[in-house]
Amino acid sequence: MNKIDGAISQFQSMDSMAKEDRWMNQIHPSIKLFLTVLFIGLTVSFPKYNLTGLFGMILYPFVLFQIGELSFRESLYRLRVVLPIVCIVGIANPFFDRAVVTRIGEIGVTGGVLSMLTLMLKAVLSVLASYLLIVTTSIEKICYALQQAHFPQILVTEVLLIYRYISVLLAETRRVTQAYHLRAPGQKGIAIGAWGPLVGQMLLRSMDRAERLYQSMCLRGFDGTFHLKEKSHVRRTDILYLLIWTALLLILRLFPVLEWVGRWFVR
Amino acid sequence: MTEIEVKNISFSYEQKIPVLENIAFCAGTGEAIGLIGANGAGKSTLLKLLVGLDLGYTGEIRVGDVVLGKKTLAAVRKKIGYVFQDSDSQMFMTTVEEDIAFAPRNYGLSREETALRVERALEQVHIKALRDKSIYKLSGGEKKLASIATVLSMDPDIILMDEPSVALDPKNRRNLIRVINELKGIKIIASHDLDFIWDTCERTILIHNGRIVCDGDTEMILRDKELLEANGLELPLSLYIRR
Ligand SMILES: Nc1ncnc2c1ncn2[C@@H]1O[C@H](COP(=O)(O)OP(=O)(O)OP(=O)(O)O)[C@@H](O)[C@H]1O
Ligand SMILES: [Mg+2]
Repeated sequence: MNKIDGAISQFQSMDSMAKEDRWMNQIHPSIKLFLTVLFIGLTVSFPKYNLTGLFGMILYPFVLFQIGELSFRESLYRLRVVLPIVCIVGIANPFFDRAVVTRIGEIGVTGGVLSMLTLMLKAVLSVLASYLLIVTTSIEKICYALQQAHFPQILVTEVLLIYRYISVLLAETRRVTQAYHLRAPGQKGIAIGAWGPLVGQMLLRSMDRAERLYQSMCLRGFDGTFHLKEKSHVRRTDILYLLIWTALLLILRLFPVLEWVGRWFVR
Repeated sequence: MTEIEVKNISFSYEQKIPVLENIAFCAGTGEAIGLIGANGAGKSTLLKLLVGLDLGYTGEIRVGDVVLGKKTLAAVRKKIGYVFQDSDSQMFMTTVEEDIAFAPRNYGLSREETALRVERALEQVHIKALRDKSIYKLSGGEKKLASIATVLSMDPDIILMDEPSVALDPKNRRNLIRVINELKGIKIIASHDLDFIWDTCERTILIHNGRIVCDGDTEMILRDKELLEANGLELPLSLYIRR
């Protein structure tokens, strides 16, 4: 399997995971969307030196991985491209902020290092939370939730189309590179000279196909509203889920829970 | 009762070279029309214009008593099912079932009715087993059948098909002929499979270089060797064998 095939199957397996009938998948999409946004908002709002407080937020993805029966390792593998990129934020902090703010044993930790770690953790947590939303909620349901939240219809449609476009672009890339390799046997990679026309072709073709897909949607009555298979009413479990998480996340954000726990153990 | 009236349509893509010139015909209720012509004759373009995928033509298209135009687009499209030549462009949902349910849901049918329609469409083209399959993982012919099902579930008054028999094995092809013959509304089928046209359409329109060369009884046109060859086509295979 080459890289593109890998990317396609990763993408599709995320898509089909979202379609499965597991407990996490059945939570009302609006509630999952709300909690994800809340979580990211609270996470990002931690002060830049408050690493311990931020650690508490790990509870959310940790529990979700458990109850969602999702593999953490698999997610790291899938996010291997994204995670290093988001970790770059804050990498320069240690060079600017050199004042020692705390000590671990004998080693002084500068504000820069601390704020860098905080920023990285924030970024990773936000990515993980989004990932958890995506693998447990199909794109149609996410769009439905956005629609329920009164997002402008054109933006919601845009989200759906971009999502579709990714798979079209990947599939088109696969076709073009396969066609290339079949007529350039024994060649590793793609010759520099062929890159221009190849990439051009790929973009044109995938745009063309994306347009036809959109036409096909319009021909079958798509007017910007999303309809789900089942009527998705909010169940009592959903409310409970929402209340518990909202409370927990607020507590974790507002109170130094980890410090309390630490002190309780040390005592 | 719905009919289609096409009045002197001319059309060209971005350059000035005309792709369709002075196309005119009428189709009455229940009529099945075969659209034949060499590669690049303009068959797909004509079908696209009929569903309003491009409104940049001169002339007039009337569906029922509505003139096709920007404002009437939604109303007209509701009546028309269109099977793309390229089935990859037709389906966009994740599973076959979801895709077939797309149109009925958009047209506000109840859940029960939608489920019924999906069931019937799956059954009609014999792809019940593919219900939960991802559309990316279908074979060429399965894709074609599924894309036909996505249109059958709309229960359209008018059905336009671009090369529906391509990629189908003999059995599925025969089944599709049966399904088409059982459909009530207007059917317009563009195809190079003249035997397929022979079996499904009583009337045929022959297009050459964007103009209608001949419009009439299928049997008469498909038996006319000189006419077909003059327009870049050949006799249907079954007629060869019979000779
Ligand atoms: N998007 C486009 N832009 C410009 N020209 C086009 C476009 N699509 C088709 N054409 C041209 O219009 C003419 C008619 O094309 P059309 O697809 O209607 O032919 P067709 O009869 O369906 O052929 P085939 O049997 O090969 O499917 C062709 O000469 C083609 O090159
Ligand atoms: Mg064509």
